[in-house]
Amino acid sequence: MNKSKGRLVLASIVGLSMFAAACGEDEGAVDATTTPAAATTAPADDAATTTGAPAIAGGEVFVTGSSTVEPISVLVGELADELTNGELAVTVEGPGTGDGFAKFCAGEADISDASRKIKDEEAALCADAGIEFVELEVAIDGLTVATSPANEAVTCLDFAALYALIGPEAEGFGNWTDAQALATELGSTSATFPDADLVITGPGPESGTFDSFIEIAFKKIATDRGTDPKAARNDYTQSPNDNVIVEGIEASDSSLGWVGFAFYAAEQDRMKAIEIDKGDGCVAPTVETIADGSYPLARSLYIYVSVSAVADNPAVGAYVDLYLSDAGVAAVSEAGYVDIPTERIEASRTTWADATA
Amino acid sequence: MSLTVAITDSSTATVRAALTGTKRDVRGYIFAGALLFCLLASLFVLTVLMWDVVASAIPVFDKRSTGFLTSELASSPDKAGVSQGIWGSLMIAGFVVVLAFPTGIFAGVYLEEYAKSNRLTRLIELNIRNLAGVPSVVYGILGLVVFVKGLSWLTGGRSVIAAGITLAILVLPIIIITTAESVRAVPSGLREAGFGVGATQWEVTRDHVLPYAAPGILTGTMLAVARALGEAAPLLLIGAITGRLASLPGQGLVDRLQGKFTAMPIVIYGWANEVNKPGKITGLTFEDLNAAAIVVLLAMVLLLNGAAILLRNRFEKRRQS
Repeated sequence: MNKSKGRLVLASIVGLSMFAAACGEDEGAVDATTTPAAATTAPADDAATTTGAPAIAGGEVFVTGSSTVEPISVLVGELADELTNGELAVTVEGPGTGDGFAKFCAGEADISDASRKIKDEEAALCADAGIEFVELEVAIDGLTVATSPANEAVTCLDFAALYALIGPEAEGFGNWTDAQALATELGSTSATFPDADLVITGPGPESGTFDSFIEIAFKKIATDRGTDPKAARNDYTQSPNDNVIVEGIEASDSSLGWVGFAFYAAEQDRMKAIEIDKGDGCVAPTVETIADGSYPLARSLYIYVSVSAVADNPAVGAYVDLYLSDAGVAAVSEAGYVDIPTERIEASRTTWADATA
Repeated sequence: MSLTVAITDSSTATVRAALTGTKRDVRGYIFAGALLFCLLASLFVLTVLMWDVVASAIPVFDKRSTGFLTSELASSPDKAGVSQGIWGSLMIAGFVVVLAFPTGIFAGVYLEEYAKSNRLTRLIELNIRNLAGVPSVVYGILGLVVFVKGLSWLTGGRSVIAAGITLAILVLPIIIITTAESVRAVPSGLREAGFGVGATQWEVTRDHVLPYAAPGILTGTMLAVARALGEAAPLLLIGAITGRLASLPGQGLVDRLQGKFTAMPIVIYGWANEVNKPGKITGLTFEDLNAAAIVVLLAMVLLLNGAAILLRNRFEKRRQS
């Protein structure tokens, strides 16, 4: 009996390897290990940094922090790998902005990616550990409030309506119309809410995407009303995984949720972006409106660089140089985010130059 | 007489008919039907899951061929691959084999064959059983505190060594329990016969108990390695890498073992978080890559299990001859 079972397993192993071999022989197979697009945009005459020149310091760099910023750091890391033939070895992980700062302030990482500014208590943690840092703005993200494409009743919301639907006082609202009274009281000019289930999926409080959404949309209203300016309602589906949020938004015809712009841009057929009105009319999230600041829910993405790591390890400085170079900036749109305006990237470059001078 | 029938024609059906007469065993049929239903239901779920994963994985192997297995973590689904995940998972399996197998098997044999059956032994056994049910994330915290922080001079911090030792400890209770169970199942007549001809305890254990218990022990170790390969939660705490893993060229094995690492379940976890934008060259998304990574992980577990089954069959054959 055992023998036949053994044969069965053996047979399945052989079958699997044959399957793999057959795939290997496929003539149509694309060997996809070709040069990434970023390499073609490598700058030839970047005055601000020494990119392109052979003298990039080698060594190991460890980047932790926001999973939103992670793709940009990975792309710049790949660029560094190509320009130095692997001598500048950059390792990147994305456990989240908060977890990232915890590691960064414990001295475990050279750089921390962040999808929001560092909090006072996190900065205090860094100060206690004697870790000085430089904050550099590297990209812009537009927090995209979205619903199902089937939800035709909702096209535009203002901050008052968002607060009425998702804010701490919305706890228990199971239908869009439940929020109507509060929205009207807050002076919302959004159209009447539909009589449909209110199904919310979004990031949880451990996420930088949560923090920045609450900060931008609710802080003023919450302060005026004396509610917790850092809280949302607790009774909605929370997930740290943006793809789960996309699925949640897609799953119900009267859904509501918010994700980073890159996730909306890649999945536009699965969800509909709700335009945001901050008093100057409804604005949809697009690369243009996010870049020029007219989209109200735009937020900056940052990297925090440890000053002592730069002093001890020239590779960290070389990597940040590359990050702020034109080639590094090209990685931002490659990763699905929006380039910051020229004067702001210049400001980051100046901050960086001053910090390393 | 029924007995004479049984002697002339001893097939099971005839014997059963002779004993039960013409009475129909309705309850028996219902029971057998229920058993069959449960088997088919679990097979159905398994088939649907496998089909779902394999169907999404085929385009990846088709378009990327072996490039998927040899590439490293990368930003684009056109370039990303699982080589670093396979390496990390194999190293973890290696640590489990080297650390947990001998420790667990010896501990199990000691508990059954050598330890006096007193209150202390029973307490220890009870504790080991409970340990087998402790959520894996708890072992992750243990690994973080003891192996990543405490023994960082040995493990190098958030390294594959720390992960390997943590997972070895995680599966240790499973190995001890299955070993003890298999040793307990050895007929006591075998031991008594050995002692009867003057063999020492060591000789009886080595020549009779262990060979007889070997198939059961191997099943336990096989389950243990499969469990270690599939664990993600402890590795997240220990700090396996999700985005990009690079090391300086020309690093030795010790550097690699003490350096940052990733493993198959973490690769899958990381890719599940990626934006599903199709790659420019292949049109694949990270979701597709994830299905392929799951197939690779399944194949790894299957290969290891296959090897264990072959070994077990050899043990059984040797015992029978």
